Amino acid sequence: MSAWRIVVADVGLLAALALAGRATAASADGAGQSIYLRGVLGSGAPLEGIREAGAVTTGVDAACVNCHQRSGLGSLEGNLSIPPVTGEYLFHSRTQAGEAVLPYVESLHGNRDPYTDATLARAIREGLDSEGRPLSYLMPRYALGDEDMASLIGFLKRLSVRQVPGVTDTVLHFATIVTPDADPLKRRGMLDVLEHFFAQKNLIPLKPSPRMLTSGKTQYSKSMYMANRHWQLHVWELTGPAATWRAQLDKHLAAEPVYAVLSGLAGSNWAPVHEFCEQNAVPCLFPNVEVPVVAERDFYSMYFSKGVLLESDLIARAILGSDDRPAAGAVEQVYRAGDSGEAAAKALAAQLKGHGVKVHSTVLAAGAQRHGVTSALRTAARRKDARGQALVLWLRPPDIAVLGDVPAGAATVYLSGLMGGLEKSPLPAGWREHAVMTYPFDLPGKRGVRLDYPLGWFSVRRIPLVAEQVQTDTFLACSLLADVLNRMADNFARPYLIEQLQGLLEHRVITGYYPRLTLASNQRFASKGGYVVHFRDPGGTALVAEGDWIVP
Amino acid sequence: MIPQSNLRLRLRAALMVVMLLVLAASAHAADDESSEQVPAASVTTRSVRKYAVPAISLVRDDGKVVSLPDEMNDGRPILLNFIFTTCGSICPLMSSVFGQFERRLGADADKVHLMSISIDPEQDTPARLREYARKFHAGLQWQHYTGTPTASIAAQRAFDVYRGGKMSHNVVTLMRAAPDKPWLRIEGFVTADDLVHDYRKLLASR
Repeated sequence: MSAWRIVVADVGLLAALALAGRATAASADGAGQSIYLRGVLGSGAPLEGIREAGAVTTGVDAACVNCHQRSGLGSLEGNLSIPPVTGEYLFHSRTQAGEAVLPYVESLHGNRDPYTDATLARAIREGLDSEGRPLSYLMPRYALGDEDMASLIGFLKRLSVRQVPGVTDTVLHFATIVTPDADPLKRRGMLDVLEHFFAQKNLIPLKPSPRMLTSGKTQYSKSMYMANRHWQLHVWELTGPAATWRAQLDKHLAAEPVYAVLSGLAGSNWAPVHEFCEQNAVPCLFPNVEVPVVAERDFYSMYFSKGVLLESDLIARAILGSDDRPAAGAVEQVYRAGDSGEAAAKALAAQLKGHGVKVHSTVLAAGAQRHGVTSALRTAARRKDARGQALVLWLRPPDIAVLGDVPAGAATVYLSGLMGGLEKSPLPAGWREHAVMTYPFDLPGKRGVRLDYPLGWFSVRRIPLVAEQVQTDTFLACSLLADVLNRMADNFARPYLIEQLQGLLEHRVITGYYPRLTLASNQRFASKGGYVVHFRDPGGTALVAEGDWIVP
Repeated sequence: MIPQSNLRLRLRAALMVVMLLVLAASAHAADDESSEQVPAASVTTRSVRKYAVPAISLVRDDGKVVSLPDEMNDGRPILLNFIFTTCGSICPLMSSVFGQFERRLGADADKVHLMSISIDPEQDTPARLREYARKFHAGLQWQHYTGTPTASIAAQRAFDVYRGGKMSHNVVTLMRAAPDKPWLRIEGFVTADDLVHDYRKLLASR
């Protein structure tokens, strides 16, 4: 089945991509791919591109992917259009009226004779198009040998994707993934939003409107038809230990091939899902996770923020200060084993250790009694270097609610807002004067307008608001997907979905909990910063920001 | 005079003009090391503009918070462009031209101040800017700047390069001989040779 071949080809592609960054000599087959994506020739030597007046680029900076994109469909940057270079666009004959045409791409340079292997090689070596006219000054010339050239042209031909998994004439298939340790309340809230969004999407009938009915052969009628595909949601609930999730996901994908993974929910571990998506070349769009995978050079995953890892960056910055003179000589971190705080504490410890700050950890067992927190803190306070130390609490509301007295001698207390309940955190009054909270979102007072739309949307559909941030993030992910699919018309290549999303994101006005969302290639986290806040009063939810939005 | 010799005279005059133009053109090309055929030239337009430098703070690639007017008004001539470090096509070319410009100037390079301001400031931290600058072998007189999104947009608006987002950014290079002089605005790609030529011309008329 051709869909299978595409999946296998994609897997092969991605397996090779796993070697990204290393200039190893590629086989003749893989040379085309390593030239296009990494600027490495079959011999292992760097690719060299020459522009006018002898300007030379080499290696990964000379790679075709920088301009023509992973999808090979090019892009529009300002008033510069970079044309598609997949086989179907290069070798397609001039468009004729009534003939089935290629999917729309904004930067198409269609008004020329189709290329042949020979004229394409000439284009790459000498910068002349299929009719002998000079190509743009932006396109470098590459002195490729015959074997490398043949391999590259073969790669471009294979970049053409005729059938995309999870896309049929009438249906788009999406999966949302829930890990077994995900919070049940957040899970319910997220699934509510997804189910309603998909139901609304599917209200529009599949038939094109009467005015659009033509011979059925022209591009226009096909586009209208395709824009109304049915959206099908598959909920993949993972079970058991994390080591088994990958096999479960592979099985799910085999049984239900999906176009992309949308939203989703994790407890403290999303890594197996991230890797599954990357290795199967499946877009993984904005999962609700506190501990994302930080790999800026991966391609298929997009996150709203770095979650608790952003918070550890903010805390490190607060402790180390801008002049690199640490505000505290020692830091005590408290977290529950296996929860998100564990990864965050590890990240923070790594940041502080290089600066001569002693870092201790008090680890509470996963199911341990609540009073464990208080006794653990008392033990920590008795340590030799406890005086003046900073305390970092990676705790959730139930643990925070039963915090006893503030330990004697503690300097500042840092609280994870994301884990601790944000402004609703049940931090006892006595702690509030000593504590600051990291807040990786826009402040409650400021985000009202950007939340009005999703909250109104929930209210009309009577969706219970059980986890506002997770639910609005889920809505945001859905609406971004809907917007980008409109933009893509009938071109469903998965890398193209990622590229178009990156382009469209920064123009959005409705950004929910985030003041700003932007992405580009080699960026995986759309919101880059947060605040450090403290509670204004002994009770209540009023917050005061300690300074401006910080990008650590 | 009879019409035929008149014609011949005119032809000779025309030929002389053409030869002079060819000589002038080859004089410009004298520095060109490349013996290869130059691909289709870019369309560049030049104009002279007055811009008010906004009193905003930016963060320089060495981490220091600086005032944009201070950075621009120390007496040195300025070359200015707008980039972002994850840009795949346009910015690497613009920055590579800045790098070549520095090298073409040789000893004269330390008299000029090259400035590149990020249009994706939240991503482009000072550390990332330094890494980007290293790729183009930026000398000490070429500095990269970031800051808050508000400050970046203010700078972009002040120089009329803001187009609503980094994906719609255009190719613009700005040049100014001295703080009290107007700016030369070059739209479209410009080669290092042309940039040097523009620069020398601008200084000469200072």
